[in-house]
Amino acid sequence: MTRYLSIRLLLTLITFWVIVTAVFFLLRLAPGGPFDGERRLPPEVEQNLRAAYNLDQPLPRQYLNYLLMLGHGDLGPSFKQKDFSVAELVISGLPVSLTVGVMALVMALTGGIVLGTWAGLNTGTKTDLLIMGTANIGLAVPAIVVAPLLALIFAVWLGWLPAGGTGGPLHFLLPATALSLPFIAAIARLTRGSVAETLQEPHITTAMSKGLPRQRIIRRHVLPIALLPVLSYTGPAAAALLTGSVVVEQIFELPGIGRYFVQAALNRDYTLVMGVVIVYAAFILLFNLLVDVCYARLDPRIRLRS
Amino acid sequence: MSPSRKRVDCNRTSLRQRAVALAIVIFSLCASAASVAQPGTVLRLGNPGEPQTLDPHRYNLRLEETLLTDLFIGLTTFAADGSTIPGVASSWQVSDDGLRWTFNLRPDLTWSDGQPLTADDFVFAYQRLQAPATAASLAYFMYPLKNAAAVNAGKMPVEALGVSAPDSRTLILELEQPYPHLLERLLYPTAYPLPKHAIETHGDSWVKAENWVSNGAYRLQEWRPQAYVHLVANAHFNPAPAITEVFYYPLANEQTAYNRYRAGEVDAIATFPSGELDYARRELTADLRTSVQLSIMYLVFNSRVEPFSDARVREALAMMMQPEVLTDKVQRSGNVASRSFVPAMVSDYQSVPGPQYQLDLAERLSRGKALLAEAGFSPDRPLEITLRYISGAEAKRTALTIAAFWKPLGVKTQLHQAELKVHFADLRQGDFQVAQAGWIGENNAEHYLSLLVSDTGDVNYGGFADDQFDAMMASARQEADLDERNRLLRVADERAVGLYPVVPMYSLGVRRLVNPKLRGWNNTPRDVHPVRFLSLEP
Repeated sequence: MTRYLSIRLLLTLITFWVIVTAVFFLLRLAPGGPFDGERRLPPEVEQNLRAAYNLDQPLPRQYLNYLLMLGHGDLGPSFKQKDFSVAELVISGLPVSLTVGVMALVMALTGGIVLGTWAGLNTGTKTDLLIMGTANIGLAVPAIVVAPLLALIFAVWLGWLPAGGTGGPLHFLLPATALSLPFIAAIARLTRGSVAETLQEPHITTAMSKGLPRQRIIRRHVLPIALLPVLSYTGPAAAALLTGSVVVEQIFELPGIGRYFVQAALNRDYTLVMGVVIVYAAFILLFNLLVDVCYARLDPRIRLRS
Repeated sequence: MSPSRKRVDCNRTSLRQRAVALAIVIFSLCASAASVAQPGTVLRLGNPGEPQTLDPHRYNLRLEETLLTDLFIGLTTFAADGSTIPGVASSWQVSDDGLRWTFNLRPDLTWSDGQPLTADDFVFAYQRLQAPATAASLAYFMYPLKNAAAVNAGKMPVEALGVSAPDSRTLILELEQPYPHLLERLLYPTAYPLPKHAIETHGDSWVKAENWVSNGAYRLQEWRPQAYVHLVANAHFNPAPAITEVFYYPLANEQTAYNRYRAGEVDAIATFPSGELDYARRELTADLRTSVQLSIMYLVFNSRVEPFSDARVREALAMMMQPEVLTDKVQRSGNVASRSFVPAMVSDYQSVPGPQYQLDLAERLSRGKALLAEAGFSPDRPLEITLRYISGAEAKRTALTIAAFWKPLGVKTQLHQAELKVHFADLRQGDFQVAQAGWIGENNAEHYLSLLVSDTGDVNYGGFADDQFDAMMASARQEADLDERNRLLRVADERAVGLYPVVPMYSLGVRRLVNPKLRGWNNTPRDVHPVRFLSLEP
């Protein structure tokens, strides 16, 4: 197990380095620079700016400087958010993104499992058709459509919830809902299939023929088995939800790190894009690692193969 | 009762209790969200994006100017109607040659921390702005000062800059050449005084809320990135403003800004989706404020490359332009058509419309065709153009319409879009044929005409160069008398429009939604609304 773990950890670190390197050079390849705008910059001013941010050095040198800085746990200054360092911006934005992500994850798991089980227990009925039909729509319609619709209905027309910004837990409700909908749909589909399949198992038939109460059969015998695929889906889903609020944060003007991602990329704010990519990459790699470890614990074949 | 039944009942009770508790929590959250603000003293404004800095020497965006106008006051300042009035300077004298400006500061000036504000703070600020280490991207705003460009380029020490303070209440500015628009130029944050004592103590982190010092009606209380910038009234500012607290929310997404305004979460927003304009005109009449901004959006020809180096080709294309159709029929977003490169709203200046508009459309078409034929284009060898525009729905419709204007000439137009950064980077490098461009400028003609002077640099995107026009502009710039200077500028303007280096299209329309209870909100040419002039009816 230790050997397996150390190999996985090493691979994760290498992946991380590859991501950092690729993003660093891709950013520099993009046309335009951090100091281009619609206003004129005289050459001497541009030179001053480039010198202030070490952009006047050769590219390999800039890359080594960045790696060195990263090694010291420093994400550097933001090129555009001049009054904050990248670390300050990430620290300020991450809790918001994580709150939305965790709320969405809880909603996705609860909603998805409940609906999926319900549909799975009633396969072929109208209930099943309705739930699965809605789930298919939920999967197909992206957050960029759902989120403004939710804001229009619940904030502008009904006035029940805030249309955007922060100020309390209520502000997270619409963004988390918008973010969780496709995942509710995905988990519901997964659960339904799994529940329907488990119901055909001989031990369930046995339990039924013994006259056990239906509720008890579902809770004790169906769900624990049926939820195994959902469990393995939760790892990647969690990573996707915690890092996937880019669109939702834009639409609800939430001060999370997802907003930096888009703006910083458009602004060619090299250090800020790098900072956000590093955080996202760390999350995704971490969750993948966790899932790998869990699988290895559950299934000895994986451990032995490595 | 069996034990199991009892357990179920317990569960039900606890569930009900939990539901009640949850409802109480939610309601108390609603209540606390609603009771944060005391009506009448707190203003919640939407800004069209997140500021990148509040350091007046590092700022670059108009939305930062909005905040800085509340935080600082320069030698001159905006009046409630947007005109230029004395700020911390009570009076000034200009030498006969227009090169030496002496400003007398008001007595008893203080910073928000109670420290005295002296002429030295101006000298410190103007030297810091030009010091190469500051890397101020808008340092050139103050290039009218003597030796400013040389200091900024590191060729002279900062002490050589044309600014001095013979005593604590007198500031002398020496200029490179006469610049009668100086009082307007001093409105920009690049001309604000800076708290020397705070910057010397805290260095670059003087901009953090805990170290913040400014001299305007407000000071920085808190800045939560991407959430809000919170300003509170500066206790040392006289007269005390009616609004004591301001929250600026970064609302980059127009639709969200619109939603949040309609949900009553903000008192004013800077813009909203153009598609909602008709609805707002019908249903939000008390809230809607439309105005025109001092600006010019235009098409620029790359005069360096064939065939646009040929004035006949430029003229032919300009012939077909119909700015009114563009703004009133196609865009319908509040933009106002302009037939002149210097916007008609620039004061003290009679703008010069393009000569093509003296003809009617049919005459323009036949003249355009004749010009293209002279330049060697025919149905067998049609003029093929790539028109570049900035990504966006309105810009795309605009570009498509322009292509349609040119079609009767037999011109084949290809569209090429790019995001703003790439677009302007390419324009500055001269990597285009014909492109949309724009300039949000000052209230003087020179600011716009300078874009066409050959030594202006890469912001003369098309590389237009005409010796006669250059000479006319140079002689205007030597003139200290404003009327005579404007007369000379108009001569140069007439020369330029006849050569069609650019085709003016429109001035930007501003569409805002403003809480009808907000008093003192005026439409102003520069679209500035200092909060110290506003008040909120209960």
